Amino acid sequence: MAEILRNLKKDIRVEFRNPSALGTAISFACIITLAVSIVSAGIPFPPMIQAILLWIILFFSAMNALLHIFTREEEEHTALFLRLKISAESIYISKLIFNAAFFFFIEAVVCPVFIFFAGSSVKNPLLFVSTVIGGGLAIVSASTILSAMAAKAGGKGTLFTVISFPLLLPALLVSISTTAVSIESQDFIEYNNVFFLFAFSAAIIAISLLLFKYIWIEE
Amino acid sequence: MKIGRLVYIFMPAAILSAFLLAPKAEILGDSSRVIYFHVPLAMVSVISFVYAGIISLVYLLRGGALLPEKARNSAGIGIVCTALTALTGSLWAKMAWGSYWNWDPRETSIIILLLIYTAYLSLYASLENNTNRGKICSAYLILTMAVMPFFVFVIPRVYHSLHPDTIINSEGVIKIETSMRAVLLISAAAFVLLYIYLMDIKNRLLNIEKVKHE
Repeated sequence: MAEILRNLKKDIRVEFRNPSALGTAISFACIITLAVSIVSAGIPFPPMIQAILLWIILFFSAMNALLHIFTREEEEHTALFLRLKISAESIYISKLIFNAAFFFFIEAVVCPVFIFFAGSSVKNPLLFVSTVIGGGLAIVSASTILSAMAAKAGGKGTLFTVISFPLLLPALLVSISTTAVSIESQDFIEYNNVFFLFAFSAAIIAISLLLFKYIWIEE
Repeated sequence: MKIGRLVYIFMPAAILSAFLLAPKAEILGDSSRVIYFHVPLAMVSVISFVYAGIISLVYLLRGGALLPEKARNSAGIGIVCTALTALTGSLWAKMAWGSYWNWDPRETSIIILLLIYTAYLSLYASLENNTNRGKICSAYLILTMAVMPFFVFVIPRVYHSLHPDTIINSEGVIKIETSMRAVLLISAAAFVLLYIYLMDIKNRLLNIEKVKHE
């Protein structure tokens, strides 16, 4: 636990020493949101199209924002010291927590901006928020281990997107359909889908925890 | 592997029986003969994926020389079979349903499998100079295998199926005419044998390359 907190504190300190990654990620997400809104020219989209656009924006924002956590360790050659000082499991958990906080912050900025510019009126705010949190957690849970893999391959952003998409597809499909329901009605049946998103995240985190040492520890 | 050489008997038998022995389907006519290639190709696509995943799991648990390369070979055959499954399926879909692509659950599954293969092979190629390549790629395949059950439960909830349940159904019974079933089984055996034969050739080449490097 102490190792996790120490590494998390280190990551936060490094992030705020040079907050360009956070700034770029937020700017990127806002630019896509505005681009979509400008193209629509004020014409309101149907709920399903709104949900699809929102999750495309969130997915690409995640692909842009979540890679640097491991790439930075490889580029600054600090990965070796981390490997020696902290266990692989602790590193994975601390990076997961950091990525979750980072991405939830991005979601907290993107969602209100999207709702404001797209002219959406969310009928079921509780379902909407829980879907955004559940979907975000699913994206973070898969992205964390995949960003470690992509960092080992030289930190290529395109590779990160290519390897992430097939894994995230079930979570994205469920998030899109549930978000569409939350925008158009007050249907409470769809809460099963939110449970699915949390179950998906839990499964991915459990498997990632077992697999991470094989990726992190070099021969 | 000698069993693989049976492909020289089974493959011509499968092709000839698909065109000469199997009767036309009632509504679809001659276009139904695609089934004798489409279904076995889809089977081999999944077999390649599962085999690559199992090899990867064994490699992570016990280690073993050339296992990641063998998983990569299986994925290489798998991606070709998956692309051919999508191609034969879309041609058949055009004849049967009027359009090449309909986002049917099975079509979606095969595209996801194609994406997984593409991603895995891209990752494998990107890690060329990394000594940990085998372990990283094995971990990726195991992770994708773990996500597969979610597709099985999720996609049928999102999309409605146009595929008939003649071959894959809840009763586990093939609901087609006996002669068609026989041809389908011959064809399935031929394609599985072709997979075994190609894997054998690729693995032998791998061993030759290893000896050459040593």
